[in-house]
Amino acid sequence: YFIQSNLSEMASKMKDFVELGSKIICVGRNYAKHAKELGNSLPETPLIFSKPTTSYVKDGGSILYPSITNMLHHEVELGVIMSKVTSRITANAALDNVAGYAVCIDVTCRDIQEDCKNDGIPWTMAKSLDSFCPVGPFVSSHLIDPSNTEITLKVNDILKQQGNSRDMIFSIPYLIEYISAHITLLPGDLILTGTPEGVGPLQVGDKVTVAIPGISEASFYVK
Amino acid sequence: TLLYTIKFELQMMKDFVKQCTKIVCIGRNYAKHAAELGNEIPAEPFYFIKPTTCLVEDGGEIIYPDISNNIHHELELGVVIGKKMSKVTKENAMSYVAGYSVTIDVTCRDWQEKCKAERKPWSISKCLDTFCAVGPFIPADELAHDNVEMLLKVNEDKRQHVNTKDMLFDVPTLLEYVNQHITLLPGDLVQTGTPDGVGPMVKGDTVFVSIPGVSEASFKVV
Repeated sequence: YFIQSNLSEMASKMKDFVELGSKIICVGRNYAKHAKELGNSLPETPLIFSKPTTSYVKDGGSILYPSITNMLHHEVELGVIMSKVTSRITANAALDNVAGYAVCIDVTCRDIQEDCKNDGIPWTMAKSLDSFCPVGPFVSSHLIDPSNTEITLKVNDILKQQGNSRDMIFSIPYLIEYISAHITLLPGDLILTGTPEGVGPLQVGDKVTVAIPGISEASFYVK
Repeated sequence: TLLYTIKFELQMMKDFVKQCTKIVCIGRNYAKHAAELGNEIPAEPFYFIKPTTCLVEDGGEIIYPDISNNIHHELELGVVIGKKMSKVTKENAMSYVAGYSVTIDVTCRDWQEKCKAERKPWSISKCLDTFCAVGPFIPADELAHDNVEMLLKVNEDKRQHVNTKDMLFDVPTLLEYVNQHITLLPGDLVQTGTPDGVGPMVKGDTVFVSIPGVSEASFKVV
């Protein structure tokens, strides 16, 4: 009973992670087939970038298609929500500091990203704009096995991406260890853990639905 | 300044570090700095974002991370946002500014070079804990954004000295550019680029930054 009540207390706070958290840390190239589909080599260490909290969109909200791009892409990702201040944690202990999960989209301007890579400049203008982090509802950690979780994405009810976290190159505990070695994670902070293959374009008017099948689902509309 | 205190609650803005939700950093906004790192002058600004766990205040410590062998200082005028703003034009941008701070964009130069060469994001070189050292809050009416003299010294060694009139893109232009697609919130900080003279800091150094006659701050590298 004690464990259950602690979990539900934690859960009831962290369901507001969008309002409570301070940042979103994103991991790129964490599924081999996705790296391959974009012609990228596999990373030796995790590839890290971030989104600000002004990127957040909740279930039912709108993804804003910005004027500066012609190639807005979806990337479905399993998001990890931290429960405690986490600094220099080891992978073995990392999951103790996880409050829960959410199915998310790392919205990306693929053309601007390509320009940023060619110019050797940060990816911020491709990744960190308003509405570029749609998130599904908070799912308490006791409902998820982070090493074996399926995520899916549909555009207008057509399946586009389907992956399982067991295919991650760097596991969730390892990612938390790596990030927290030099970037303190705060309660409510979100980590996006990479996307499987099948990324593709979004158009104004599209409905995008993401899911952890049987557990959680959310939809967003491209405006 | 009565008008000022009506517009922005001064006490809250003095504690901008507590309210801040993000730091937006402009890259390559001074011609000589672009040149010293062998970069071209950009046609448009570019920017990146530091999380709030980077913030360290006057008197605090900059942590030298064990993953780098070349930590650099970059002196920057910080602009503190006073009101939520979205898609504000440069004509109106300054009315959203609560004030300023003299700041350092701390950088792992070695990781940044590696990220550029490998076409990767810069976060590992720019976003580590204590990588945004900030001086005390300066109310907006105490400075003219396009005529701010700033200095950075490492120990007794004067390294960077600039007047913001040398910016390639001025503060209102930068705010409009960022704000087209990224909402800025009260307490958010915009670091507006560094002049030439960037260089290394090592453990044990004390770094001094100042706007002569107006503000100063120091940080110890540990």
